[in-house]
Amino acid sequence: MERVLIGNRITAAVIPVSFAILGVLIANVPVSVLGGIAPAPLLGLMPLYFWCLVRPDLMPPFWALVIGVLEDLLSGGPPGVWAVAFVATYALLDQQRDMFAGLSGFGAMMGFATAAAFSCATAYLVVTVYYWRIPPLAPVMGELAMSVIFYLPVVMFLGFVHRRFVGPMRSDF
Amino acid sequence: MANGMRRGNRLRGGYQLPLAVLFVLAVALVLIGKAQSTLFDRARARVTDWMAPELAWGHRPFDAVSSWWANVGEGYNVYQENVRLKEENARLRQWQTVAVMLDARVKRYQLLLHAVPQAALSSTLAHVIGRAKRPFLETMILDAGKANGVKPGQAVIDMRGMIGRIFLAGEHTSWVILLSDLNSRIPVTIEPGHAQAILTGDNAKAPALETLAQGVVVHPGDQVVSSGDGGILPPGLPVGTVILDNNALRVALLADPASSQDVEIVDFKNSIETPPTPTKNDLPVSAAGLPPATPPPPVTTNVQTPAPAPAAPPAIKPAVKPTPQTQAPDNPSADPDDQ
Repeated sequence: MERVLIGNRITAAVIPVSFAILGVLIANVPVSVLGGIAPAPLLGLMPLYFWCLVRPDLMPPFWALVIGVLEDLLSGGPPGVWAVAFVATYALLDQQRDMFAGLSGFGAMMGFATAAAFSCATAYLVVTVYYWRIPPLAPVMGELAMSVIFYLPVVMFLGFVHRRFVGPMRSDF
Repeated sequence: MANGMRRGNRLRGGYQLPLAVLFVLAVALVLIGKAQSTLFDRARARVTDWMAPELAWGHRPFDAVSSWWANVGEGYNVYQENVRLKEENARLRQWQTVAVMLDARVKRYQLLLHAVPQAALSSTLAHVIGRAKRPFLETMILDAGKANGVKPGQAVIDMRGMIGRIFLAGEHTSWVILLSDLNSRIPVTIEPGHAQAILTGDNAKAPALETLAQGVVVHPGDQVVSSGDGGILPPGLPVGTVILDNNALRVALLADPASSQDVEIVDFKNSIETPPTPTKNDLPVSAAGLPPATPPPPVTTNVQTPAPAPAAPPAIKPAVKPTPQTQAPDNPSADPDDQ
């Protein structure tokens, strides 16, 4: 019985980070499904956002850095850009957790849109300083739009996984 | 009780210190990446090498779908396309004749002028196994790497024109930075007029023309080719056509990276110019009508043999006969006491 409980606890601890890493891997598979028309969504940010609000004890800030570094490594962009963006977004969520976690329905979508916009804006700022020139805004806006569009199906899936395998929500404590 | 409070803090935002440390770490990563980008690049190349077989396998259905889709789109206007291609073919045949004649003439002139021959070009054929369009990078991944002689900086072309250049070469894969990418800058020449400029990518479909010299007039429709300045890219690679976009000069690229399946990686060896070996007739003394100097005998290091006689003076007859006071002795190295 106790062994089963330990197994469940390990599964619950591993799932959030695994899904974030899986999201980064899927988003950065260099296969252009849409013929290069639209950029890939920030699939790594979605589990980070979700579990940062739902169960922050399973998604500590260290993983924001790791997921960001992985995103940098696989996306091919300048190193550290998404690491800074994800850690900054985590800091924002950490500060305003009650506000973000209290949103539901369309408000929850807007909450994620705000977090993703903050993340993209941070990345844009870092790239501007990195290259010391202003990059075009349209590709970043495209990535933000794709992330918000994809958030709804992804968060439904994450919610199902959480209820089925991880356990109680933050509000249950 | 205290334990409960700590847990509550953790859940309500108690990560200020670790977050500050992590933020500093992330910023340090950016700075390290700026100073030592090779560390990150090497890791990327390893990851891509490792994933190459899966990428090639995963890319196959997308290739098939995209080529099928392209065929479906073209199926509707086959007749018009056929007529247009026939006209274009006839026009190109005339141009081919002109090009062959001009090429023969240029070769003849080069022969007459002893011009330095053009650098040798070789190429490696590679297949596109991945494409990525991210906000700060547009790239494609090829299935050829260092093992195939691919090096960073080499130009990548398809059958229409230049696509970009290699910026990261792994053992069996390489990453291409597209001409439209934010980080791409290549020197180009605009013809006719031979105007020099820099083609700068900004993630737009048509990259911009920058640093044009003052007074240079460029018209929409002018042809843009690589200039070869810097010796990294070969000169004359077709790039695109000048277009006017919101009063800014841009280049509509000939190549289409989104549909290219097989590309060529051009290995440009800019050979060092070697001066021609001088002949006897090229020496100034010969040109002046004098006999050439005899070379000095080789110096031997064998101590057993007697010391060699000093080199004979050059067998050039002086223009003025020396006077007895200034005449040099027959054997200048001989000891005067021996006489």
